Amino acid sequence: MTERPIYITAATHISMQQPLDEQWLTEPILHTEPYVRSIDPNFRQWLNPLEARRMGKILKRALVTASEAMTRSGINNPDAIITGTGLGCIENTELILEALCRDGEQTLKPTYFMQSTHNTISSLIAIHHRCHGYNSTYSHRGVSFDAALLDAFVQLSLGDIATALVTGNDELTPSYFNILKRLGYVGNPRQVPAGEASAAIMLATEPGDNPLCRLEQCRLSYGTPPLDTLPRDVDTVMLGINGHDANDELYRQIATLYPDATLLRYKHIFGESYTASALGVYAAAAIVNAGVIPAAMSLDGKASSAAAPRRLLVVNHSDSRCLSFTLLSKP
Amino acid sequence: MEQLVEELKKNIIEVLNLEDLQPDDIDAAAPLFGEGLGLDSIDALELIVMMEKNYGIKIKDPAEGKEIFKSIDAMAEYVAAHRTK
Amino acid sequence: MSTIAITGAGIVSAIGVGKSATLAALRSVASGIGPRRYLHSTHDEFPLGEVKLSDSEMKQRLGITAEPTTRTALMGMLAMDEALDQARLLRGADGARVALISGTTVGGMDKSERYYLDFLAGDSRNAYIDTHDCGATTQMIADRYGFFTLATSISTACSSAANAFVLGANLLRAGMADIAVVGGSECLSKFHLNGFNSLMILDREPCRPFDATRAGLNLGEGAAYLVLETEETALRRGATPLATLSGYGNACDAFHQTATSPEGNGAFLAMSKALKMARLKPADIDYVNAHGTATPNNDATESQALIRLFGKELPPVSSTKGMTGHTTSASGSVEATICLLALQEQLVPVNCGFGGNAMPDGIRPATDPVPPRKLRHVMCNSFGFGGNDTSLIISKL
Repeated sequence: MTERPIYITAATHISMQQPLDEQWLTEPILHTEPYVRSIDPNFRQWLNPLEARRMGKILKRALVTASEAMTRSGINNPDAIITGTGLGCIENTELILEALCRDGEQTLKPTYFMQSTHNTISSLIAIHHRCHGYNSTYSHRGVSFDAALLDAFVQLSLGDIATALVTGNDELTPSYFNILKRLGYVGNPRQVPAGEASAAIMLATEPGDNPLCRLEQCRLSYGTPPLDTLPRDVDTVMLGINGHDANDELYRQIATLYPDATLLRYKHIFGESYTASALGVYAAAAIVNAGVIPAAMSLDGKASSAAAPRRLLVVNHSDSRCLSFTLLSKP
Repeated sequence: MEQLVEELKKNIIEVLNLEDLQPDDIDAAAPLFGEGLGLDSIDALELIVMMEKNYGIKIKDPAEGKEIFKSIDAMAEYVAAHRTK
Repeated sequence: MSTIAITGAGIVSAIGVGKSATLAALRSVASGIGPRRYLHSTHDEFPLGEVKLSDSEMKQRLGITAEPTTRTALMGMLAMDEALDQARLLRGADGARVALISGTTVGGMDKSERYYLDFLAGDSRNAYIDTHDCGATTQMIADRYGFFTLATSISTACSSAANAFVLGANLLRAGMADIAVVGGSECLSKFHLNGFNSLMILDREPCRPFDATRAGLNLGEGAAYLVLETEETALRRGATPLATLSGYGNACDAFHQTATSPEGNGAFLAMSKALKMARLKPADIDYVNAHGTATPNNDATESQALIRLFGKELPPVSSTKGMTGHTTSASGSVEATICLLALQEQLVPVNCGFGGNAMPDGIRPATDPVPPRKLRHVMCNSFGFGGNDTSLIISKL
């Protein structure tokens, strides 16, 4: 594999922060409720009503973050569109499940089914923008986005493609929040809010006019976390700490490996979800680009005095079994 | 018949989620698919579901739907002749 | 680039558990499609390609008693056992970095659809809530063996398992894994049976791929996994290369969520990409295992794409879904395994269900099991909703 530099040339989000901008860098909204839905932009700016009439929230958000990443990067026909989603279009899935369980196997609404499969998101982006390139979707719990990013990273590194749009999308319905709460994943005392995620990241082997950062490494593993493989030559580490012990223990262990680095957390600002790491990588890219670290993101209060990050490692795990890391650097 | 036409317009707006339209915006004689309202094959399937749920009319072949769903007027005629509820 | 070898394969479908049962059924053209027997459903009008084992029979075969399990995971384990055994991995991987890339869309839906109201009410069936998602099924399969150093799930509907080959092979090419086990598993569910029914693309008769009288697909279920590694790794481990994965292509039709473009653009692009990667010409392909679902739309547009690509040099083409049913997310690896058997046995799997009425503008599928020339390169097509189209090429060593 030849070492080709890979750049993040645009990154966008719709989340529990102000949508599609970086206002959170200076004025983050700190939610205190256990369950927070995303702040949506006015979708009409991007979607005509006839086109949007079948789309649930997750599809509208995905299409808007993707379209904005394309516009801002100037890459309107990426070689690949790859999405990570933990639960896919869960709202439509629940509507079908509910109908099946309550009314039996009577006539089901075709639209719900058509837009219940996970790959609806990536293919909708492709259909809307007429992109005939590589198109795929990963759905693997808390590392769904991470797998999508890995797929793009490998193809870019191999030289098979030159540009890739990688997205992370999950919606959270009130009923699924309750289900996840019962499982003990969210809604615990002192835990960050459960939320929704939509992030789109444009990767390219050419920097373009204004790259946010470089994507240096991307790894995903399963089983006993191979902590010895984590890159050490970094100045900043962003961890997925969410205030729940079962989740945080591994991050605390990782934090001890970096006594000299600035430690950051992001989930109290962007919420916990199956694709929270998409917002983590988005936020990390924005921080490297801006050269500032918001005080609210500091894990130990030391960040505000820290220098602008040059090498930022984002670490994410799912069930302490799937470990991923993403290394970003200043170009 | 006029009442049925109005009812169908309301039903179509509801099942197809055409939230920006009012019943008066739909020309009962105009084509629903293609140029007119711009509906597509998935909408046709939704209308088949609606016909069964609301009027007890079973349409087995999607190709049959093409004729029945030509316009609101055509639908109203078909419903009046075939409804079982 | 070093050659990517296939060193193991395992398969479970309506036509049998394991490669030898599958081969026997292919030879005798014994379809596995029949009346519903295992799926909990009231739709008795639709024939199904069910795996002829109940969940508890599968558990017995696998020697497991633990819950929760899902049918998708159980079928996956049956196929995985066979694939790993052939690749000499069943007893462990000796420290090799082994990636599992598994395709599924239904995941644990068989249990979710039974217990969903209990989930909402907070009832005792909670064990199944956490097995709903795609990743849970992949991890259940991975944890049976304990040596996977990467496990992830692809969900691109009916091309999921085929797309697993793409990431798996790319990880090998990039040196990020030593071995990649790729494929998919998908059980039947009420959820997608009713979903396909709502799209009015299910046939009430046994399906007839590429026949002018075709009226839709029959759903099936199954699982298959193939073991990929570089020839060097295989040699070092003492595993026997069976064939090579010489090319793969993924493209998006970008036309409609459930319908394909009239010209089959995505299919054409996916096949062209796979040929380019394999450095082959269309005339080099000796057999095509078509996606061939038997829906009016798919078979017409896939025909167009095949005719456009191959012109007068169209090799034997068949759909094996007339035997297995459409195994949806698993179809890519189920049919890749059938392609592997075709290469090894020099056999053209015939297009079961074709009654001799070719489409006016379509291809005429293969009905003769004897290949007109030696099979060296075979192509396997998998197309999914949303226009997620993938084509694989498997070649003789």
